Amino acid sequence: MSTTLFYLAIGIGLWLMGLHGLLATRQSIILVLAINIMSSGTFMVMVALATHSDPVDPVLQALVVTGLVVAVSATALALRLAASRRRRTEDDAT
Amino acid sequence: MNPALLSLLTPLATAILMLLCRSRAAVWTIAASLLSLVAAIAALYQVTTDGSQLIHLGGWESPLAIRFRVTALSALLLAFTALIHLLVGLYAARSRHSQTRNTDYWPLSCFLHASLASLWLSTDLFNWYVILELLGLTAVALVSLAGTKAHRAAFNYLLLSLAASLCYLLGVALLYGRYGVLDSLLLADMLEADHTTRTALLVITLGLMLKAALWPLHLWLPPAHAGAPTAVSALLSALVVKGPLFVLWMLWSQVAPVELGRQAGPAMAAAGVAALVSAGWSACRTPHIKTLVAYSTVAQLGYALLALGMLLRWGVRELHVALWLFVFAHGLAKASMFLAAGEMQSTLGSKKVSALRGATQTVPVAMFAFAVAGGSLIGLPPSGGFLAKWVLLQPLLLEPSHWPWALGVLLGTLASAAYVFRVIALSFDRAPPPRPDYNPDPVAQWLTLLPALLVWGMALGGETLILWMSGVAY
Repeated sequence: MSTTLFYLAIGIGLWLMGLHGLLATRQSIILVLAINIMSSGTFMVMVALATHSDPVDPVLQALVVTGLVVAVSATALALRLAASRRRRTEDDAT
Repeated sequence: MNPALLSLLTPLATAILMLLCRSRAAVWTIAASLLSLVAAIAALYQVTTDGSQLIHLGGWESPLAIRFRVTALSALLLAFTALIHLLVGLYAARSRHSQTRNTDYWPLSCFLHASLASLWLSTDLFNWYVILELLGLTAVALVSLAGTKAHRAAFNYLLLSLAASLCYLLGVALLYGRYGVLDSLLLADMLEADHTTRTALLVITLGLMLKAALWPLHLWLPPAHAGAPTAVSALLSALVVKGPLFVLWMLWSQVAPVELGRQAGPAMAAAGVAALVSAGWSACRTPHIKTLVAYSTVAQLGYALLALGMLLRWGVRELHVALWLFVFAHGLAKASMFLAAGEMQSTLGSKKVSALRGATQTVPVAMFAFAVAGGSLIGLPPSGGFLAKWVLLQPLLLEPSHWPWALGVLLGTLASAAYVFRVIALSFDRAPPPRPDYNPDPVAQWLTLLPALLVWGMALGGETLILWMSGVAY
């Protein structure tokens, strides 16, 4: 039980850190990283909740895998948009 | 095959085929929307005769199954989605000024259609998460079609949408950890008003409010909707923000414990009134046409939130009808208004509201569409917006203790009248001499008028519509 609580707390901590990063910075790459930290926090909460029951709940783990796929594709799109934003700023500067 | 499923699969299959073969994309998309519309009407007919039905995907039984539920409301929403896609698709294919004719707009709009259709049919909390992500990603891709200048707005939209999804997902994880079920129909009987449930509902509600651009989490919407290509703005404002609203409505009115709803209701209704007033004020002040229309979306969502809040507080059944009538009337009116605004903006060659001086002489049909749609947003009879407001005001006026909320509706109406008449008054001025490249497109202007005529037509069958919607189960 205490290990579950420990990982739950870490998950929620990561989620809050990500949220703070999202609100506090304006740099594209850091923003993308902050979102990823936030999603890692959420997945950690889900994995921690899965170990709560015995045997380990497979549904939550399956959900985490689905969530990871979504997070990867979203990150790819975000990076693409961030890159073109950066190129545009450089064009404006020259 | 079940007609509701057909209505979902047609745009999905078309989108995938279009990734392989690009020729005549516009024709295929319009044909798919039409087929989807017919299937949705068939589903609606089936539901009204046989009652709502459950579809078990892949033949799995509950609790492992993913279930789709076809109710009268979801069938109606399917038809509404297909109709808006059809009308916007016709404009995007025909107008010389739409910047989306030979772009990825067509497969993306089909994906958007398919995601929305599955959202209306779904009943599973995690399924909704995946669909909301799909909806967000497609919408961001559509916004970025406007070129590199829109990438900044698209990037911010994507980040906010992801953050909102993660809020939602955290709440869903908490609910699953507490109850071990994800299906909203099963959850409805189990939820208790304890701490975990409160926290989970709070996080989920914040995520959904951010996604639906409900006040005070609406600041991302105007740049994203105003920066997108015209046809995309119409789809985003008419349909995409209604997706999270639907999930919010399902969650609070069907799943959440009644006493929690009673506590949360007034806060939601107050946020609705604040949206009406503050976004109406911003719409009166902004110098750009499309930003004005985008702010008006935020304001109009305030009516839906007000209706939801009061529904939770007092449990009056008619407020379901008011909420969904608002969604339908706003969707049609806003599609027309965005298309007309975009068409006028590109014909007159300026994004400023001040460029609309004399628009009744230079772009008469588009200006007429703008005015008719604006009339529905204000709630002038005869229009769909008037019907919705009528149904909303009736329970408000019956009880003297509810009168302050009616005052909120009045303020909202005044604000929307102010920003609509701001444009209309300007358009009756004398037109300045036309620019050298002035080249109006009459057919496209008529196409922008179509959705506005439909919202006008909603008033013709008004009584039947209200009675029918009051009769169906929610």
